[in-house]
Amino acid sequence: MRVARVGWRRYLNGVNFGVVVVILFVMLPIYWLVISSLKQPAALGATPPQFFPNPLSLTNYRDAFSTYGFGVYFRNSVVVTIATTILVLFFGSLAGYGLGRLPMRGKSTILITLLIISLFPGIAVVPPLYLLERTVGILNSYQALIIPYTAFNLPFAIWILRNYFQGIPKEMEETGRIDGASPWRIYWSIVMPQALPGLFTAGVFTFTAAWTEFLMALTFNNSNSFRTIPVGIALFGTPFNIPYGTIFAASVVAVIPIGILVFVFRKSVVSGLTSGSVKG
Amino acid sequence: MNSDRVEPKARTWRRRSGKYAVALATSSFILAACGSSASSSSSSSGTTAASSGPQTITWWSSPLGAGAADIRAKLISTFEKAYPNITVKLVSAPTNTDTNRAQLTTQISGGSASPDVFMGDVIWPAQFGAHGLALPLSKYLPSSYWSQFAPGLVQGATYKGQIYGSPMFEDQGFLFYRKDLLQAANLPVPTTWQQLEQEAVQLVKAGSVQNGFVWEGNSYEGLTCNFMEYLGSAGGNVVNSGYTQSTINSAAGQKALTFMRSLITSGASPASVTTMQEPQAESTFVAGNAAFLRNWSYAWSDSQTTAGSAVVGKVGVTALPTFAGQSGTGYANIGGWNLYVNPHSAHVSADLTFIKWMAGTTAQTMLANASFIPTLQSVRQQFANSTTAPPPLQIAAKENLIPRPSGSPNYAAVSQAIYTNVNSALTGSSSVSAALTSAASQMNSALGGGL
Amino acid sequence: MAVVEVADEAKVDPSAKQKPKVNKQFRDRNQIMLARLGWRFTTPALVIVGAITIFPVVFSIVLSLSNVNITGNGFQLQGFTFSNYSLLIHSSEWRYSLGFTVFYTFVSVFIEVVLGTAFAVLMERLSKGRGPMMALLLLPWSIITVISAELWQYVYQGTYGVLQYLINSVGFGKPVILGTPTPAIIAMMAADIWKTTPFVSVIVLAGLVMLPSDVFEAASVDGCTPWQSFWKITFPLLRPTLSIAVLFRILQAFGVFDLPFVLTSGGPGTSTTSLAILGYKVMFDNLQFGPGSAVAVSATLLVLIGCLAFLRAFRTQVNGGDL
Repeated sequence: MRVARVGWRRYLNGVNFGVVVVILFVMLPIYWLVISSLKQPAALGATPPQFFPNPLSLTNYRDAFSTYGFGVYFRNSVVVTIATTILVLFFGSLAGYGLGRLPMRGKSTILITLLIISLFPGIAVVPPLYLLERTVGILNSYQALIIPYTAFNLPFAIWILRNYFQGIPKEMEETGRIDGASPWRIYWSIVMPQALPGLFTAGVFTFTAAWTEFLMALTFNNSNSFRTIPVGIALFGTPFNIPYGTIFAASVVAVIPIGILVFVFRKSVVSGLTSGSVKG
Repeated sequence: MNSDRVEPKARTWRRRSGKYAVALATSSFILAACGSSASSSSSSSGTTAASSGPQTITWWSSPLGAGAADIRAKLISTFEKAYPNITVKLVSAPTNTDTNRAQLTTQISGGSASPDVFMGDVIWPAQFGAHGLALPLSKYLPSSYWSQFAPGLVQGATYKGQIYGSPMFEDQGFLFYRKDLLQAANLPVPTTWQQLEQEAVQLVKAGSVQNGFVWEGNSYEGLTCNFMEYLGSAGGNVVNSGYTQSTINSAAGQKALTFMRSLITSGASPASVTTMQEPQAESTFVAGNAAFLRNWSYAWSDSQTTAGSAVVGKVGVTALPTFAGQSGTGYANIGGWNLYVNPHSAHVSADLTFIKWMAGTTAQTMLANASFIPTLQSVRQQFANSTTAPPPLQIAAKENLIPRPSGSPNYAAVSQAIYTNVNSALTGSSSVSAALTSAASQMNSALGGGL
Repeated sequence: MAVVEVADEAKVDPSAKQKPKVNKQFRDRNQIMLARLGWRFTTPALVIVGAITIFPVVFSIVLSLSNVNITGNGFQLQGFTFSNYSLLIHSSEWRYSLGFTVFYTFVSVFIEVVLGTAFAVLMERLSKGRGPMMALLLLPWSIITVISAELWQYVYQGTYGVLQYLINSVGFGKPVILGTPTPAIIAMMAADIWKTTPFVSVIVLAGLVMLPSDVFEAASVDGCTPWQSFWKITFPLLRPTLSIAVLFRILQAFGVFDLPFVLTSGGPGTSTTSLAILGYKVMFDNLQFGPGSAVAVSATLLVLIGCLAFLRAFRTQVNGGDL
């Protein structure tokens, strides 16, 4: 290892340079989003554009929460998204393990069918799903979103988890099997800990997908007490007057939970990462 | 293959086929449900209550005013005071009109009894009427009701002899201008399009403002509105009276589109008008970066609020210009919103009470005070004659009006044919005559029910 | 579908044949047990997916093959027809949208995968700060698409947009970015690349991290340069992961809707009208659900063919015929 580090020293500068490039790539538009959310409406149309908001104003944030009741949407999004993520990870990891590690027949058929489902355009799916949900009677509820979100996010989660499960060495699992551990125990205590980076990836993508979904949320829940953030934001302003500042403010707030999520799970990701590199 | 292997396969097959069977059974059940009559599906509210008992109706409406200026809650509470037996539950509709329509279509065709009353665009009656997505109100309300509205509005809400929407508030195009800039340059308020173009060029060249004239030239519905105004001034129309044939590719069409393109090539309008919808055009104007703006009545109050506008007190509003050589004012396109009733509503009589109240003096006055152009002729005239009323309301009656060709149930496709091709001509990616030819053929196909 | 199943069987059998007979029986029983276990693990997810998605998908296919009239009482289907599809094939709008969508998908996914992999390799090299970098990378991805489209619209805007101002201030005039077809398409791709490169990075990073590290140590001892070790070791091992990233990016990009809906409304003219935008307009603006469903189904079929071709070309060597 030491030899390698010395050899890479020159390259490490490249890494640092690359990190700066990545940060700029990501942050320049984000910077514009944030400062625009701090501008007053009149300053949004200013030419030349203001590179730093003057005057700095929190009006947009206040408007989002007090005038437009953003807090309710936020709570609903949290409930729906967390429930969806847990369900998808639970069922998706089971299925991903089955399809990735166990000798089932017809795996390819299943995987291709899942693929077709996940690539079917959302706009075509929404009207019949509305009929389905109305018949079952779950419109205007959390489950009206949690159920379809779970179903439509499972295919991707299964594909991605299956791939990571396939990458885990089989030895420990087989040792466990010979020791007579129950399948559930093998899955839970041996396989899952090794798949943490994969679980994290699938979890993050499910979370963001549910967090940002618009069309179903708009169609299935039109009662204000069950509307989510993307829908709430679409109700800001009037048909001719889009309050960009307030919308940007709301979306800045909406990004925070993702940051918290990554921060909270950072430890498990990092430990997953270390166990990943140690195991080889 | 030993026999052991067969078993799990058979079992899984059975399990799988069972699953599909359930799914198929569900779907055929639902398909059947779709075909069934409306009455079976409007179950959410129970009895078709007699008008005496307390009832709750839902009202689907996009915001009427931005943020704190939204008057929907005020309208509802005033109504509920007048009719204590009826509670109105507001459902806020998306601000994007196309998204709004998609939601309503999905819900109503899905058999939902809610919303009971919905606020919809003035261009929807033919489409909603043809598809049975709105109740024909003329079957419930007498002709004396319809005759109290300003002329032309009811006709616009009529499809095949039935009236589907009750006009709630009207809107039309206006010309907003910077009084201070015109005064400083000693220029009169333009009354012809050519004059407007020339003044805009002059102001930009003099460096007194960055952009001359901004309007809505993006490839979307609003461009159809703008185009109709030039076309109306040029004396043309886009379809024949029977909605069977496009008439866009005419001398008037040539004149209108050539002029619109020349606004950009002469520098009177920035090239970026081809990307502007109402918010972008308005932002440019209220930031003080344009001398002229074509927009709807709402732009007046926006331009007069200190937080959002850098041009408070510097804005004048007037009727749209016409082409040189024509008499009178120009043509303003009709916009605005109607109230419609969901055909599945279980509270039709309460719905009608609400709609009638919205067309009454109280509600219409409240709307007018919030700068919406009233549809009730009496209130409309009262505000037109008042010198303290919001200026757009005073000018509204002086403009000539031209509707969009929304009498066709395929209007959306007709409009797409207009705005995509007009936009191509504006950006210069196709010539004026090529754009008109292509628009005409696409319109004809749309009128015949094609894509 | 049956043909594909054979591949699975073939994979199990040869390994079994080489074992002694007794062992084989044991293995078979073991295999059967594990297969049953697999079904027990997989079925709940499949039931959920099936219960929710099969009806809408089948429904859309039925609509695309019917004379549909949407009414206040639901969809009226008046007989089987292919006319919805023939309408599409004869429509220049559909043909343009198809071409545009394919082009857009190909170019933006290619750039995203190259950039995303580069970012992931970079982050894998980081000893510290991987967590914060991950959080940073996820920011664009986690912004609601409609809003990031509005942000880009604001950046590209022709009179007060910051990008136009910057271009002008370095002396390239005032291009109307969203008002001219080619720049508008490039602008749309740039917005998409900004938002979805992180998606690729995160998938690839997780894949990289789970690769066995001993190979790399061996490689570095053997004196491979980083570039060589990437192409000779990392890349082949990463293929399954990369292929998932590419696959799902193709799917997402082919269905692109929110971005052009807000950014350009499909314009200028119709130059950024993707298949999903066209389908939406036909279905929800024009209420032509037959042709609209045909747009959706045709898009699905075409992208499915593309995906399967891609999988075949990209993955076969790695997984030995299994998908």
